Amino acid sequence: MTVILQHVLLAGLWGGLLALERRAFLQAMFSRPLVAATVTGMLLDDASSGLFIGLVLELFFLGSVSLGGAAQELETLPAVVAAAFAASLDHQSGVHGTPAVWALSLLLCAPLSRVGRAFERRLDARAQRYGDRARLYSDEGQLRRAVRLNLKAMWPHFVLFGLLCAASVVVGTFASQPFALLPTPLIRGLAWCYPALAAISAAVAVNASHARHAQRYAAAAALVVLLSTLAVVRLR
Amino acid sequence: MRLDPYTVLRVLWRSLFIQAGFNPEGLQNLGLVFAIYPALQQLYPEGEALNAAVRRHLATFNTHPYVAAGIVGGILFHEERIARGEEPAEQVVQFKASLMGPLAALGDGFFWLSLRPAVGAFSVALVPVLDVWAAALFLVLFNTVHLYARGRFFLLGYRYGDGLVAHLSAAHLPLWGERLRSVAAACAGGLVAWLALAFGQHERGARAAALVGACLVVGALTFGLLRRAVSPWALWYAGAALAIAAGALL
Repeated sequence: MTVILQHVLLAGLWGGLLALERRAFLQAMFSRPLVAATVTGMLLDDASSGLFIGLVLELFFLGSVSLGGAAQELETLPAVVAAAFAASLDHQSGVHGTPAVWALSLLLCAPLSRVGRAFERRLDARAQRYGDRARLYSDEGQLRRAVRLNLKAMWPHFVLFGLLCAASVVVGTFASQPFALLPTPLIRGLAWCYPALAAISAAVAVNASHARHAQRYAAAAALVVLLSTLAVVRLR
Repeated sequence: MRLDPYTVLRVLWRSLFIQAGFNPEGLQNLGLVFAIYPALQQLYPEGEALNAAVRRHLATFNTHPYVAAGIVGGILFHEERIARGEEPAEQVVQFKASLMGPLAALGDGFFWLSLRPAVGAFSVALVPVLDVWAAALFLVLFNTVHLYARGRFFLLGYRYGDGLVAHLSAAHLPLWGERLRSVAAACAGGLVAWLALAFGQHERGARAAALVGACLVVGALTFGLLRRAVSPWALWYAGAALAIAAGALL
């Protein structure tokens, strides 16, 4: 079992940058699960794991939204951690991109969204000191110092989430041995679990779309896909 | 007194950091002051006037981060007039207070509840065709609208001040939002069907049809239970347990 240091550093750096992008700068959706997990997989030489983990989490968290400053579930953390975990598990066990590994990663890592939200709330509470300091500096006429506090407040997010993502590569490496000991029926069960999770997540996404006739649109699209696939199969 | 274009661009760039110093009491106040500081420095070269300008923008401020660009532009509109003595300082405070709530609702409704789910579901639905490029498609589609909107809102705010609202109304964002939500629902529904077919192709004959059917039933049942306020997390793990059991035993 060897922990690939380069992977640990890449996962940590990417996780930290995503924490900044999600909160502090631009909010250009690099932190959404589809992108975050896919790029994590690419950085760790396992793009397919990242993509198929990101697919499920993107659907599951499609309706996750921060309204009025209220903290939402932090979907970026499980996306990066699950993709990093799956990639390092794959590397150690010598197989690439299996639904069983994806399902195991999703089941273990998805609840980290709640952990991430708790951390974010703590960091926000900690950031209050910067708000208080800004008022103090402005009262003292130190305006440049007051203004720069905005940027100081974002670094704890980078450090904390970077460390969590880096740790997931190490955990994934050591999880490969217990995974190899799982009985074959259980691994087969996990392989079946992945499409179930994906289907459930897609249904969650339909519900989260808040479209006026969501079930009609979803059913119509499903019918179109089924009929067109059947038509293609028949033609062949 | 008019701001030079370089300062205006600096403010627009710095407005991208509006959420960096988010705190529970002032919310986006640090980000707002950080964004407009170069403009305040240019408009108020003397100490006490600059101090007063910074302090009036340290009040609590919170709105959607993209629509905030419109308010930031509007602040520059008003601060130029305040610096020239054409209006009182209270005008900009009122402008912020009256717009931040309604524009937050507009931004949340369109960007977070409509555009992002639609683009996300559409990109995910194209994973079978585009593979990893689906992630790139998501970024391109979303950010084309996002960056255009941010720039446009800023310019509208800077040019028209309070007249920003009339121009935003003309964009019919709620109507477009409704259409985009339908796209999200349709893409997610189509993806359930594709997943069912992809899963079924690992088996043959009646078993394949049974697996496809089971996947579709899981999707439909999940949707029905969600409508009855069952927790998505409970459905996720219950569905996983059933699938693992079925895969292990059948």
